[in-house]
Order: sequence, then structure tokens, then C-alpha cells
Amino acid sequence: MQTITIKPKKEMKISVEAENICPDKFAGKTEKEIQSLEAWVGNQKTTLGELFSIIVEGSAPAADTKILMEGDFSRVKRIGEGMTCGLVIINGNVDMHLGNKMSGGNISVKGNVDSWAGREMKGGELIIEGNAGYYLGSGYRGETCGMRGGKITLLGNALDFVGEHMCGGEIIVKGNTGILPGLSNNGGKIVIEGNTSRPGSEMSKGTIIINGIVDEMMPVFKFEGNEDLDGVTYKKYTGDVISNGKGLLYVK
Amino acid sequence: MELIIKNGAVYDPVNGINGDKTDISVRSGKIVDKVSANATVIDAGGRLVMAGGVDAHSHIAGAKVNVGRIMRPEDTRSGIKPRTKITRPCTGYTVPNVYAMGYRYAQMGYTTVFEAAQAIMKARHTHEELEEIPIIDKGALTLFGSNWPTMDFVREKDMDKLAAYVAWGLLASRGFGVKCVNPGGGEMWGFGKNVSGLDDVVPNFDVTPREIIVSLMKANEMLGLPHSVHLHCNNLGKPGNYKTTLASMELANQVKASKDRQVLHVTHLTFNSWGGTNWGDFESKADEVANYLNNNDNVTGDMGQLVWGSATTMTADGPVQYANAKLLHAKWGNGDVELEDASGVVPIYYVKQISVHAIMWAIGLELALLTKDPYKMLLTTDHPNGGPFVNYPEVIALLMSNKKRQEEIKTLHEAVHARTKIPGIERELDFSEIAIMTRAGTAKVLGLLDTKGHLGAGADADISIYDIKPDQIDPSVEHAKIKSAFSSAAYVIKGGQVVVKDGQITATPPGRTYWVDASVPGQHTSEMMKDIVKKFKNYYSMQLANYMVQDEYVTHAQVVKAGAIPVEVS
Repeated sequence: MQTITIKPKKEMKISVEAENICPDKFAGKTEKEIQSLEAWVGNQKTTLGELFSIIVEGSAPAADTKILMEGDFSRVKRIGEGMTCGLVIINGNVDMHLGNKMSGGNISVKGNVDSWAGREMKGGELIIEGNAGYYLGSGYRGETCGMRGGKITLLGNALDFVGEHMCGGEIIVKGNTGILPGLSNNGGKIVIEGNTSRPGSEMSKGTIIINGIVDEMMPVFKFEGNEDLDGVTYKKYTGDVISNGKGLLYVK
Repeated sequence: MELIIKNGAVYDPVNGINGDKTDISVRSGKIVDKVSANATVIDAGGRLVMAGGVDAHSHIAGAKVNVGRIMRPEDTRSGIKPRTKITRPCTGYTVPNVYAMGYRYAQMGYTTVFEAAQAIMKARHTHEELEEIPIIDKGALTLFGSNWPTMDFVREKDMDKLAAYVAWGLLASRGFGVKCVNPGGGEMWGFGKNVSGLDDVVPNFDVTPREIIVSLMKANEMLGLPHSVHLHCNNLGKPGNYKTTLASMELANQVKASKDRQVLHVTHLTFNSWGGTNWGDFESKADEVANYLNNNDNVTGDMGQLVWGSATTMTADGPVQYANAKLLHAKWGNGDVELEDASGVVPIYYVKQISVHAIMWAIGLELALLTKDPYKMLLTTDHPNGGPFVNYPEVIALLMSNKKRQEEIKTLHEAVHARTKIPGIERELDFSEIAIMTRAGTAKVLGLLDTKGHLGAGADADISIYDIKPDQIDPSVEHAKIKSAFSSAAYVIKGGQVVVKDGQITATPPGRTYWVDASVPGQHTSEMMKDIVKKFKNYYSMQLANYMVQDEYVTHAQVVKAGAIPVEVS
């Protein structure tokens, strides 16, 4: 087991791009080596060691690597980008693009995450105890395939466009979400325990289950009658009928 | 500045040099017979030497390309390369930024590239981008096929006015040749419709695509333009369209060439050689198209080869793009250029396991391998419709190695066996044939063979040296080496200056822009202008005075003179 503990040295006002904070990049490296990995503050190139205090215990392959992050990372972007295995635990808030393109491993956040958490992720698990920004598990600008696999669990609330362009995987939101969750979906499953509005427009495939109140329905779904899922009765809709979609929308 | 390239294995089919060790002398940007002893020496060390590559059909600049950039921000995430001391930053794969266009072509040994379609009204934008594309020489073909004046003059059978309009349109757009895209269809798309064949009548104009194509060919030859009419056939993108393609090719028999070249160039034939009646029985008819080319000397074509992965289809063929977007559930960019054609942009991802894509991949290769004379079938990917131009080396490797093709076929949808002939074609092209398809042939088709596409005295000193020794390599087996060598030239010399060394850009001179200044009798122009003035007054959203591209937009112009000469109509 290799444990890397990271703490910010000072408050960060300018956003930091730190895609090197990733079990695959840290595995088997010494403290010095990790400290010398590249990071960007705005348009200035720097190292992780300049920005963070980094303590390493043990040495292990990526699968047995645990990154423990303590403090406020609310200006640090791209943590865990492309990770394939290992564990990242963040006791604080983080900025955009957490765990983007990850294909395995586990990220757990005690605080809030900004937009595009888990974007285009292919596998692994992302657990967020706080709230999330926009585009949770979505595709980045222009991308037609967002989250492709894995699982995101959000205990708090999310803003708009949860799982936009989702092609696979699962997103569970315990709180409320903003408008248009599951926009342009092409697969996967979204479960929202709380309230939302205008779910599932432009869906061609995939499933959305909403247990809370839907403020407004898009007029592009066809009502198919009631259906029981795990003992709960839902109103079942299919659509988006305009784009000849086969998506499933269940509203309690 | 003098330069001599020694010990190169030179492939220069125009001058009958076929791998011989020949020295190439350069003075003041031109190839000459000999240079003084003070000349800088480049020792090619037995490596492959060819003229700089010439691409006759690629979408590198203008409104459509920019729509592609805007609607595909995800494309910009690939191909990112920071600036260096001499190069600007690069981004993108299917729709790269303007700088990357120049650098990437140069790195492959290409020195001349023609943008395949610009509407006159949008030409200023095309030239703004062409100006910024470094290193390579370029030019743009101007769309005439669905322009209102064209169709009016065709209906009136007034060839003098049509020729005057073409000459004026080339001047207005600083264009190089006549492009004709889905003639009539672009106009009908304004009403949500399309033409379905050569004899459909375009409403409001009472002309047929057949009449438009023939008239434009006649006007083209009346003006003696360097290039022939460059045709994107009707019914492109529809199964069974090979019949329309063959019928369009036959129209060339009605017109006699004014120069030693084809009368009609039919472009991106991968998209026009389709058999079957729907996507279920879709099949390749490349053999029929190649057979026609083998038996006729007045038509040429280019491949428009499909390449696996991401592509961005962009064309002035508006209706086909609507159909594509609906079929693929893809993003759709649509454009209407007032009185001049339409356009559409749709991203696509070509997948080996989709039967239609696998068959299309085979069609491009069949066309190249079944057409006996490489001068009649140019190498293109219709960038970025079939795939980005950076994949030319992959296409070259496929054409040179049956082994590579067979390996590839094993990974494709099984339809490629039953509905194409590619598995049974054993032909492997040699370096000379590749030089024709990428240099000599393209230059000939464009009418630029005096200065481009060969290494004889008087030609532009555009030379590429590739890191392969032709006498020591078996392209059939070592296709990976062929691909990597053509991807990254050892040396590229553009206008006598070394611009690439070991695959790295070493200098970024601006390239020139070719355009054609065709003269017609003054009274024809003034008669024609009466109609044009009326069109601007009644229909255009802009003033005639603001229409023409000014010389300020073409600061490195290379003007080719042409003019009206009598045409024999058989």
C-alpha cells in the first residue's frame, strides 16, 4: 500500500490544473518525484511540490495507491483525470473536471464538486457527499458521448444538465437537480431521488427514474401507462418522440 | 540561392525518371539544369525523392470549414501542439486551425493544395484563411452549379453570357476553376427539395442538371481554363447513384477539351460509386466506374478514400447533409448562400464493423486499383469528408501493399467480402504510380503541369525527400515503414527553401494563391453585367460594389491568364 497525503500550502486564488494528481501517475514514485510533477497555475507552469505539501508512505503499484487530500481544493481542476485504478479521498471541495475520463478506481469527496465531475468517465466509481455543479457525468463541449460507464453517487444536489449525452453507466442523485437531467441521452441510467424539471429531452436511449417532483415535463414524451419498478408504481413515458427516441422516463 | 540534391532515388514520371540516381539543381526557387559549385548540397543518400505533393481536392479554408470548427469544439481537443519559435500553435484533427493546415501538409511533403469549393459571396472568407495558411501554395475552386445567373444563361442557351459570368465569377472570387456541386440541387434545397437525376427540371429556372453540366463544360473550354469542370455528381450519398455518375461522365463526350487534359473531373468517387437500392443491399460499383474511366480519356476522378475514425463531412450539397444528419442523429450545420448554392456540415465517425462504412472503405481502394492509368484517379480523402488529409500516408500504404489490405479486411464487417471486389484485387502500386496519383496526375488535372508535379527544368523547386531507400524496401511487406516515411518527410523544399527537415518545420514562408484571370470580349461582359446588376438590385442582401474580393485579400497572388477561344461542339 502506498499512501500519499496532499495538503495545500496556501490559499489558491487562480485556478490550478493538476491532472497529475492521479494514482496511476503517483504509483511507485518517491516524494521528490511526485513533488516535481508538473502543474499549471493559470498560464504559469509549476510543480505539485510548489503548491502542495506532499507526504508519501510506502510504495505500491497504482491499484494499491491511495491519495488522501486534506483541505480546500476548490480551485484545483482535473484531479484523477484518466485514472484506471487506486483510490482518491478528498476531505474538502474541488474544482471542475474531477475524475474526467476515469476508467477505474474510486474517488470519494466529502465536500462539493464543481461542474463536469466525472465527465466522459468510462468506469470506476465517484462518490460525492456534498453538492455538484453543472454537467455531472456529461460530455465536454461538443462531445456527443458523455459518461460511458461506471457509477456516480451524489448525496447532495446537482445543478443543470446531469448526465448530458450519457451513453452508459449509472448516476444516482439523492438530492434535487436543476433543469434537463439526461439531455440528449443515448444510454445509461439516471436515478434522481429529489425534485427536478424538464427531464430527458432529446433522449434516444437510456433510462431516467425520478422519485421526487417534476416541476415541468417536456412535451416530447409519450405516456405508456403505469408500471411497477421494485414495488413502486411509476408513470412510464417513452421518447423523445421528435427524434424517434427509445428512451424511458419513469416519474413517481 | 542555389541548391543541389545529390544521390536521390528520383521518381519523376513526367520526365520518365523511375528511381534513377539523378541530381536535382535549384536556383531562385526554380529547378534548373545545373548550378555552380557553390550550391548548397543536400545528400539524399539514396532516399526517395519526388516533386512536392499536389492536392486537387481538399476543404482547407472558407465558410464551411469554419462552420465545422464552430460546431465541433470536441475536435479541437485533439492535435494540440504548442507554438515554437517559428510555428504557431496547432489544434484539431478533422477541422484543424489554419496554421496546422499548412504545417501538416508540408510535413507530409505536400506543397500545393486546392480548396474544393467556395461560393463567390463567401470567397473573401476563404481568402482570409488561405492568406494565413503557411508554406503551401493554394487556390480555391468557385461554385457555379446552382448559381441563379448560371441557370438563367443556361436556360437562355446564351453561352457567351455564361462564359462571361464564369470569367467574372472567377475574378470576383479570385477563384481557380469551376466547381459544380449537385447542380440544381443546391437551388432546390432552398425549398427543402432536391433533384433526383440529370433530367429533373429545377423549378423557377426550367433547366436540368444535364444542361447545367454540359453548358458549364462548354463555357470552361471556351475560356480555356487551366482546370476542367470539377463535378460533385447529383444523387451523391444515395445507394444506386453509380448510374447517375456514369451518365454524368458520358456528358463529357459532348464537349472537346481546349487543352491537353480531361473535360470533366468527377470528384470523391467513393461517395458516387454506390450500387444497391437501399442501405440493406448497398454494394460497391467501383468496378463499373473504373471501367468507364479505363475506356474513356476525357474524364478523370479522385478517390475520396474513407479513413476509420472521426471525420467531418462538409459540402455545398445541402440536401445530402440533411439526410446524413437525420440518418446519423448527428449535429447538423446548414447554410444558404442566397443566390449561390447551399451547404451542410455533419460530423461522422467511420466504424469498421458498420457494413456501409466497410464497403465505402473498399470502394475508394477499388477505384484506385481498378483504374489502370493512375493519371485518371487521384489520391484524396476529400478532406475532411472521408477523413483528414493527415491520413494520406495510410492510403498510400494500403495502395502499395496487398498484405496490409488483407490484414485490414480481416477486421472489417463481412459485407466487404460479398459486396465489394477488394479482397480479390492483388495489384500493388509502385512509387512511380504513387507519384502520379499525388503529384504528376494532380498537377495535370489542375492544368499546372508546367510548374507543378514534376522535377524537370522550369518547374517550381518544390521537392520532397522521404526516409526510405526504394531499392532496399519491399513496400508490400514493410508497409509500416512506407506509412511512417510519407507521414514525416526527411526534407521538404518549397520554392527552393528548406521548410521541413526530419519531419520538423524549419521555415514558414507564405505560400502563393493561384487564381485565373480569364478574358472575354468586352460586350459579352457588359451584356452579362446588366443581368447581374438586376440580380443585386432585386435579390442579393449585399451591394454589387461590396461583392468582389479585393486584391488586399490576396497578397501573394499567382495569376494564371486564360481567355475565350472558340470551342468545337460535337
